[in-house]
Amino acid sequence: MATLEDLQKRVQRLDDIKQIEKLQRIYGYYRDYGEWEKVVDLFSDKAESAEECDYGVYRGKEGVRRYYIDLLKGGKDAKPRTGYMSIGMQIQGVVTVDPDGVNAKGRWYGFFIEARPTLSLHEGELRQLWAHGVYENEYIKERGTWMFRKLHFFLNFRTPYEDGWLKTPVVGHSGPSLEVPPDAPPTTWHPYPFGYHLPVHFKHPVTGK
Amino acid sequence: MDIAELDRLEKEVIRLEDIQDIEHLQRKYGYYFDNNMWAEIVDLFSEEHTESVEIADHGVFYGKKGIRRIYWDMFAGGGKPRQTPPWMQFIVMQIGGVVDVSPDGRRAEGRWQTWLCEAKPYGAFPRQEWLHGYYENRYVKENGRWLFSKLHWNNTLCSPFEDGWLKLPLMGWMPLPDPDEPPSATPTRPAITSLTTSGTR
Repeated sequence: MATLEDLQKRVQRLDDIKQIEKLQRIYGYYRDYGEWEKVVDLFSDKAESAEECDYGVYRGKEGVRRYYIDLLKGGKDAKPRTGYMSIGMQIQGVVTVDPDGVNAKGRWYGFFIEARPTLSLHEGELRQLWAHGVYENEYIKERGTWMFRKLHFFLNFRTPYEDGWLKTPVVGHSGPSLEVPPDAPPTTWHPYPFGYHLPVHFKHPVTGK
Repeated sequence: MDIAELDRLEKEVIRLEDIQDIEHLQRKYGYYFDNNMWAEIVDLFSEEHTESVEIADHGVFYGKKGIRRIYWDMFAGGGKPRQTPPWMQFIVMQIGGVVDVSPDGRRAEGRWQTWLCEAKPYGAFPRQEWLHGYYENRYVKENGRWLFSKLHWNNTLCSPFEDGWLKLPLMGWMPLPDPDEPPSATPTRPAITSLTTSGTR
């Protein structure tokens, strides 16, 4: 029979997975609502980076703030635009907690229903879009709370509702911002139809490889 | 804490671990499938206790032998190097898992739904489709690890991106050569065939 100490460790691991799943899903709701300050607060002060699509790598907590507030929000006082929508469903989480119980990784699919401009981030005619991609994120537990250490979203496609990924794989992406430049260029900008498969972080559950 | 209480607690922890492991097993299957990691998929199925695999109208394949035939011989082309066009895409999102573990903790069943974004050739023409389907799968625990013992994905719709499900519910026909049995369920009537929800066995 298991010892009490053994069971406590095992319950802790399960609890950690649930807390991280919740963190990732809460991130999804905040981003859907454009609550970018709350998104920034989900990151550790020791955050490594945030990188999405072809926007490039924003390093450190300060980089995370520049990415979400200065770039995506359009400045701290920017108001949400009427009709703008970006719903990003956080799907199929596989969360792996390190044996230390302090670090973890997670893979998720993001599937998006959007109404946003495509010629620039904030200006121009709204288009209705489908988008899909993969997250490979890292988490860290500080003072009993799980936070993002690193967020990486690989974009597979972002296509007009009328066209689809086969006809128009990507719209709305013209490289890193000149006004809010990233700290490094994008690491994995190989959207559809490259046939690129973002490597999985997790071990095979049977072979352990 | 007395021994009986500790024993009860351990059983409860094992049940939660089992559900978590099975959810991860199913989701990893999804990522492996979408990344064309066919050897990894074969290893997710029990060597001794695999009943069958059935996907859409591909037909039923029995046993671990059937697993190797469909995933390795056919999907992976037997491991021979080959040029698949990079635009061919299978994204099968694994959503809404309901997992029931048997009281003895050795077997389990899981129901999932899936939403797909695909692109594949139809004859000479590249086409893009939306698909939806349900899984009714079975799992078995061997040496402390959960494996698939049965996988069944039933196709609700496979529609051209341009038309939608009402206009064209099911495009194409995808039988594979020499299945052990023909498809067991028709795709357009999921509610009245094999897809009634089932509880713990």
